[in-house]
Amino acid sequence: MKQKFVRSILSGMLAAAAIAMSSTAYAANYDLTVDYVTIDTGETQTRGIGYNGSSPGPTLRFTKGETATIRVTNNLDQPTSIHWHGIILPYQMDGVPGISFPGIAPGGTFTYQFPVQQSGTYWFHSHSGFQEPDGAYGAILIAPQKREPFKFDREYVVVLKDKHPHSGARILRNLKMMPDYYNRKQRTLSDFIDDVSKNGLTPTLSERGDWGKMRMTPTDIEDVQGFVGLINGKSPRQNWTGLFKPNERVRLRFINASAMTYFDVRIPGLTMTVVQADGNNVQPVKVDEFRISVAETYDVIVQPKEEKAYGIMAQSMGRSGFAFASLAPRVGMRAEIPPRRTDAPLLTMADMGMDHSSMGGSGMDDMSGMDHSTMSEMAGMDHSGMGAPKADPFYASGSGLIPKAVNGGKFLSYSDLKAQKPLYADRPATREIELRLTGNMERYSWSINGIKYEDAEPIRLKYGERVRFKFINETMMSHPMHLHGMWSILDAGKGKWNPVKHTININPGTTVYSETEVDAPGEWAFHCHLTYHMATGMFRKVIVEGGPAVAALKNGSQ
Amino acid sequence: MKIINLIAIGCGVIAPLLSFSLTAKADNPVFYGLQMEQFEYRAGDEGEKLFSWNGGAFIGTDELKLRWQGEGERDINAGINEKLENRLVLQTPVSDFFDVKGGVRLDTPKGTDRWYGTVGITGLAPQWFEVDADLFVSETGDSSARLDIAYEGLITNHLILTPSVELNAAFSDDPEIEVSKGLSNIELGLRLSYDIIDRSISPYIGIVYERKLGNTASLAKDEGADYEATFAVFGLRLMF
Amino acid sequence: MPKFNSPLMRSIAISAFILGALAVSRAPALAGAGHSGGHDAENSLQIGAPGKMSDVHRTIKITMEDNFYDKEKIVVRSGETVRFLIENKGEFVHEFNIGTAAMHADHQKEMLIMMEHGALEADKINMSMMKMDMGNGMTMNHDDPNSVLLEPGKTAEIIWTFPKEAELEFACNVPGHYESGMMGKISSQ
Repeated sequence: MKQKFVRSILSGMLAAAAIAMSSTAYAANYDLTVDYVTIDTGETQTRGIGYNGSSPGPTLRFTKGETATIRVTNNLDQPTSIHWHGIILPYQMDGVPGISFPGIAPGGTFTYQFPVQQSGTYWFHSHSGFQEPDGAYGAILIAPQKREPFKFDREYVVVLKDKHPHSGARILRNLKMMPDYYNRKQRTLSDFIDDVSKNGLTPTLSERGDWGKMRMTPTDIEDVQGFVGLINGKSPRQNWTGLFKPNERVRLRFINASAMTYFDVRIPGLTMTVVQADGNNVQPVKVDEFRISVAETYDVIVQPKEEKAYGIMAQSMGRSGFAFASLAPRVGMRAEIPPRRTDAPLLTMADMGMDHSSMGGSGMDDMSGMDHSTMSEMAGMDHSGMGAPKADPFYASGSGLIPKAVNGGKFLSYSDLKAQKPLYADRPATREIELRLTGNMERYSWSINGIKYEDAEPIRLKYGERVRFKFINETMMSHPMHLHGMWSILDAGKGKWNPVKHTININPGTTVYSETEVDAPGEWAFHCHLTYHMATGMFRKVIVEGGPAVAALKNGSQ
Repeated sequence: MKIINLIAIGCGVIAPLLSFSLTAKADNPVFYGLQMEQFEYRAGDEGEKLFSWNGGAFIGTDELKLRWQGEGERDINAGINEKLENRLVLQTPVSDFFDVKGGVRLDTPKGTDRWYGTVGITGLAPQWFEVDADLFVSETGDSSARLDIAYEGLITNHLILTPSVELNAAFSDDPEIEVSKGLSNIELGLRLSYDIIDRSISPYIGIVYERKLGNTASLAKDEGADYEATFAVFGLRLMF
Repeated sequence: MPKFNSPLMRSIAISAFILGALAVSRAPALAGAGHSGGHDAENSLQIGAPGKMSDVHRTIKITMEDNFYDKEKIVVRSGETVRFLIENKGEFVHEFNIGTAAMHADHQKEMLIMMEHGALEADKINMSMMKMDMGNGMTMNHDDPNSVLLEPGKTAEIIWTFPKEAELEFACNVPGHYESGMMGKISSQ
């Protein structure tokens, strides 16, 4: 009896110690296995790929200043790789087969090792084949050495994923056979009848004719529909739940690990204060809703005050699907799924780049702070303080994609993002590189400057220069462009406060600039992060010439 | 002599495509697919019972595809293949929306077998018309042309009404296959399909009107054969 | 649409804007916690009043960082007069403001307007815009005795006599800072 009592005390202490260790141990060493897993969304069960037996994989935690050592063992019957998205590291550790390293052969182990030089929310994913859409992704959280410029009582990772019942390879094959294979949001006969009764027959025919002439459709917003939106691997039905105590500040680290889907995120009843974007702190901005492009991250602080469940609603930009999760004061409580928005956007001729009054470079000048609409509008403004919403200069003027918050409140724009602490001194760029984002929807082939990756020369940068990338989106889709190895300073018209990102979204019909301090020698990937755009050619190799010799890193590739 | 003609045509078409394919980089991804636009039972207005199909498969890269196209029509009552056509072509893009293709065609219906050399274009015309236009030169030196146009009208995003037209013309009399110079045949179709499993399996019902034209029609009339027919059709559209 | 390029047009626009905003304010304290012209007696009762140096028995040092204070909580005795020495060690403008949660919430809306119109930037205060007369004696001037707005590197002092009992907070109402946690409770004993 007594012995049993002692034993239970002991085991309790052990458990407590284990909990204490797990919460404080920002381990710098990880072992990851890449495995075939079953992904169960409650609606579909598919074979996918995960890490350490699950998809998403475990959340990796580091502290700035540590050296990260991650041993990755490939249990698949195909080569694999892991790319540490947004992490600044020696290029041999970047994990892009064919550029950084040869990849990890079936049965092989590769040891990634790099100094952790940054803090924030990031993620990792396979850069081989279609393993990432098939489930090979996970979160990376890096704690700063000093305290954060914001306060929170607890935090959760919120990883968004567009889990499709088809494998990535099959999806691309279908898109190649029929580009609108997955588009079930196209305009139909009843839309035609509606438009005729609203606008008359002639205007409707002429509008249809304009699109038909281009052989493009205004509904071409989500290439791959039919997915189930997941949050932390859970479908809306499975309802991932994060617990809170009323009045606590909760930090939500949103990561969009989707293959193809942009999400509009809101938490009805709560304002979100955005404090970080792509791992870098931003000057806090209060929003009711934000759009997260594929591969981006946003950290927000919320302060739920009531003893009730709040829903995290992430509806896709094209409204073809959604992810949902709950924040609840108790286990088992779940929030009501709010009515789904049916305001599926339609592209306009502005998105086709037909309207040249759109942004270009000039849009940036408009953002200097003082050019609000008319005085009468200002006077009539309500005290919510926001005023008539400014036109978001990161959408073509008249674009069909311009988002609106469901509650009429503030929707985050790139032009709201200001670096909390700029990583680099502001200086003029040494040169400009023009990258036209191009493609052919009917052939489902995507490219940069009209040239696919297979046929393209690498982009050569000089160590020490500051290049200004001019992205001109000539397609009708949004493209989240991701440069590996170096930061992209988004030109949001904020001078030294321009936000520092790893993924820059460029909406149709717009031109966006970003600048990069070329401070990482080696060879890097630069691509659209939409899986099937990347796979069909919207991809470049970047070679940084000169600079300190990159020490041959010892690694455990076998 | 005939064979030499054929080889000449074949080489003329295939050689440039092939040389292009060899210069293309090896890491171009290869895709493949199988599509059956028509796979159907046809019940004629005069008691005809036919089984008819029209489809194809491809393998290749963006720059070069090898495509098989087949179509046929089997008279179920008589147990004979009225039409049996197989084409093997190479296909490469020539513009944003059109591909050029060239290769060979072998017809093996009941009666005379026939080899053809073929060139054509295929693609998407403005206002979403799917167009296929082919030129054929047979081993006997007779040439002919075919134009296929189809349009997918979305009643809903799953219920699709597809009108189609196929027009055949001959540039010389070819009595061996009962075709005369000029427009020889037209087939109009209207099919209503419903996608039940993705776009893989879409059952449909429809109506098809087929008519011989010009001298080809006269020829049929003279022989007392049918020169026009209307069918109720039901079948499956398949895509894998 | 006119653009307000000249300073004069800008000033007029801002005045009109602020007036419009204030006119529809639902708050009991018209100008919230920090602006001239609306600070009434009701608020004084709630939050206390400026104190005299002679009543001060205690000095509390407050350091501002980006975006937090070095203190999460302040404990005062009922009716105590405290001298606050406030220093901004951050790289951004910060506020130290004594008020109720509701007053802070209202003041945040005003500061958002200030920021959107350039009177307040992340790291500096445009004094000329703040002092601008809005036509009825009200300005955006940030001169209420219960608050200070400090540029980086600046210091300030507040002597404050707390009421007998109150639920007060000290807070920075620069947009987003309060929500990020730059605030704390003042508990009176």
